[in-house]
Order: sequence, then C-alpha cells, then structure tokens
Amino acid sequence: MGALGNGTRGLAGGTDLVPLLRDGLVAADRLVDLRRVIPSGIDGTAIGAGTTLAELEADPQIPDALREACRLAASPQLRNMGTIGGNLLQATRCWYWRLNYPCRLHGGDVCHAREGQHREHAIFANDYCASAHPSDVAAALLALDATVETTRAAGPLAGLYRLPDDHDRNLVDLGADELITRIHYERPEQSVYLKAMDRKRWAFALVGVAAARYDDGVRLGLAGVAPIPWRLASLDDLEQATPLPGTAYKLELARALGRRAIAAVGG
Amino acid sequence: MRLTVNGEQHELEAPFGRSLAEALRDDLGLTGTKVSCGEGHCGACTVLVDGAPHLSCITLVHTVDDRAVTTIEGLRDHPLVDAFVRCDALQCGFCTPGQIVSASALVEANPSPSSDEIRHAMAGNLCRCGTYPRIEEAIRTWRD
Repeated sequence: MGALGNGTRGLAGGTDLVPLLRDGLVAADRLVDLRRVIPSGIDGTAIGAGTTLAELEADPQIPDALREACRLAASPQLRNMGTIGGNLLQATRCWYWRLNYPCRLHGGDVCHAREGQHREHAIFANDYCASAHPSDVAAALLALDATVETTRAAGPLAGLYRLPDDHDRNLVDLGADELITRIHYERPEQSVYLKAMDRKRWAFALVGVAAARYDDGVRLGLAGVAPIPWRLASLDDLEQATPLPGTAYKLELARALGRRAIAAVGG
Repeated sequence: MRLTVNGEQHELEAPFGRSLAEALRDDLGLTGTKVSCGEGHCGACTVLVDGAPHLSCITLVHTVDDRAVTTIEGLRDHPLVDAFVRCDALQCGFCTPGQIVSASALVEANPSPSSDEIRHAMAGNLCRCGTYPRIEEAIRTWRD
C-alpha cells in the first residue's frame, strides 16, 4: 500500500503485494505493517484507508455502488484481508506485466498486449499501454465523487491516477513515502455497481460500471476499460473508445451495463 | 515471534517473508492446512484469523503475531466435520480443510444459511472434484 522509499514497502492486507513480492515484480528489503498506522473504520462519509472490503460491504450506511463493488471484488477470504486503500493501489492483471515481459510498464518500449492476447484489456487510452485497471472499488468511488486524503495532501480520486508515458511509467501519482489515509465520498441519492465477469463469482471485471445519481445528474465510473479507473461524463463518451480487435465486445458490455446502471438509479 | 494457534501459544523464529501456511505446516507441524495454488486464488489454505477466513498462503506470519489463528485441527470436534462425512462432501479431500474452515465462520455468523448465502460465503473455496452440491448440503444440514 504505497512505497515508503529506501527499499521499504508498506503492507496492509497484502493480498496483492505478497504475491507480487514472491513473483519478483516488486522488490522490498523491509515491510512495514500499516494496519497499526493508518486509520480504519467508517465515520459518516469518511472511510479509513485500512477498512477492509468485508467491513464496507456489511455496513448499510455505505452507498450501494461501493458495497456491491466490495462484495463482487474478490473471494470472501480476500475481502476479509484486503483494505480499501490497497484496493485502489492494486497492480494490473495484464498477463504480460504479471509474467514480467519487458513491456512499457516494466520500462520497455512495447506493449505486448496490443499485438498479442488482449481479450481482457483496455478500450480507452490504450495506445501506449493497453492494460486494464481492475479496481471495482475505484470505479464505484469515481461515481461517488470521492476524494483521497494522503499523508501529504487531499484531492479528487481521479488525480491519484495517471496514464504512463516515456518519462514516467507509474499509473499512480503517489510519493515514495506517501500513504493513503482516508477516502471521502459524496452521499448520492441512489447508486449501483454492475460487473461483467467470465464467471458468476469473484473474477476480475471484464467491464464494471458504477452509476450514482445526484441533484445535478448521474456520475459514472468504469473498471476494466482503461489502464486507470475511468470516468465517463455520459454514455455518449463511449463513442470515443478505441477498442483493439479482441476487446470490441467490451464496448458492447459497457453500453449495456451503462444503460442498465443509469436506469437502476432512476437517471 | 509469538503465534497463537487453536488457543495455544507458540514461540517461533520465522525469517522475513515466511507465510502463515509455512509456519503452521513446517514449524508447528499442523499439516491439516493445505497449500494448493499458493497465490491466494483457491482457498485450500483457509484459516480463521480472529474468527474471519483468511488465506494463510499469502498472509505473512509476522502480521498475525497479536491475533488468534484457528486451523482445521482446532475444528476437530466441529459438527461440520461429521456433516461433510455424512454428505460425502469430498472426493480427493485436498480442499476439505479449507472448506470446513470457511463453513465454520459462516455457520457461526448465520446458523441457518440459505443456498444463496452458502454459495456467496463459500465462493472462495474451489473444489476441483466438483463436490459443490454435497458441500452445500453438508453446510445446510450441519446440525442434523
């Protein structure tokens, strides 16, 4: 959950970091158990970064979009372990990246997925790197207009993420010693999260769509469609998608889920 | 470090990065906990940490030194064990300890779970022999 610099890494639930350490995709010579340091628990519309997905899905105060995103995010065991802060910082499921191909995210000069197997990859902002961001929780929080508080600053959740380029391959804009401490959301009138998966229970999102209705309209957040969690101003923006041959079906999924989600929140 | 397993305290020397599953099996000889995928997908290594199902293969042992761990050995007398036998809810049996550990947390919180609730709570325990209908039956009838 955020690098602390000098070879030290913060560990919260560890559900992503421990396998990444073992596979040599992340290096650390020291781990700091963050659960004793970062806030956890729910206080109105503020959520401690150390709150587990299981705690969030069980709390009736939490908007439906976020509860459902937590409930569908992973297996019960992983939801008992994983924290909301860690979920926002999880690494891509791109198999080329996970198998340590020298792709752009690993500092190389090619995106293997674009020419290779990319059925689960991005349909937006996929020119440089076609990986898809897996966080259901981030999609829900984008729709819920969330802000993220860190040990240094506070700002919109969208600002936590960045698209990679030649100068910086990171997908997250977080300092080496900066930690997410709290997430704040705006309480909607109604919200929902819909997720298309390869199987019925706990798989990563092919496409996930969160919709939240406010006084001024419906806000949408998507998972599985871009290298970072993706916000849409309206479903019309889906026309700007740039699907690869193997991901054209995702556009259809996003349209269908988007229509259903907007109808579900009465938008 | 100190590790509390099934109500008993143990002192052990664990190197950096050692998993809870390794500590249970190799240091404490509690081999009822199985490791199958080793990366947090299959649920075979499920143990309870403070009563909630956790994956011991991706839990670093140093992170649970102040918490209570329950393994299948601690559930020896749980009625679910008999229910799994009675319903023939296993074939090879490798996933069974993890299944029973997850099921024990479910029936503790919800003694009469519906089929849907069972499926939701047990979604993180894979059985490659495909005994899911019998696992569901064993959990539904665990007190019979």
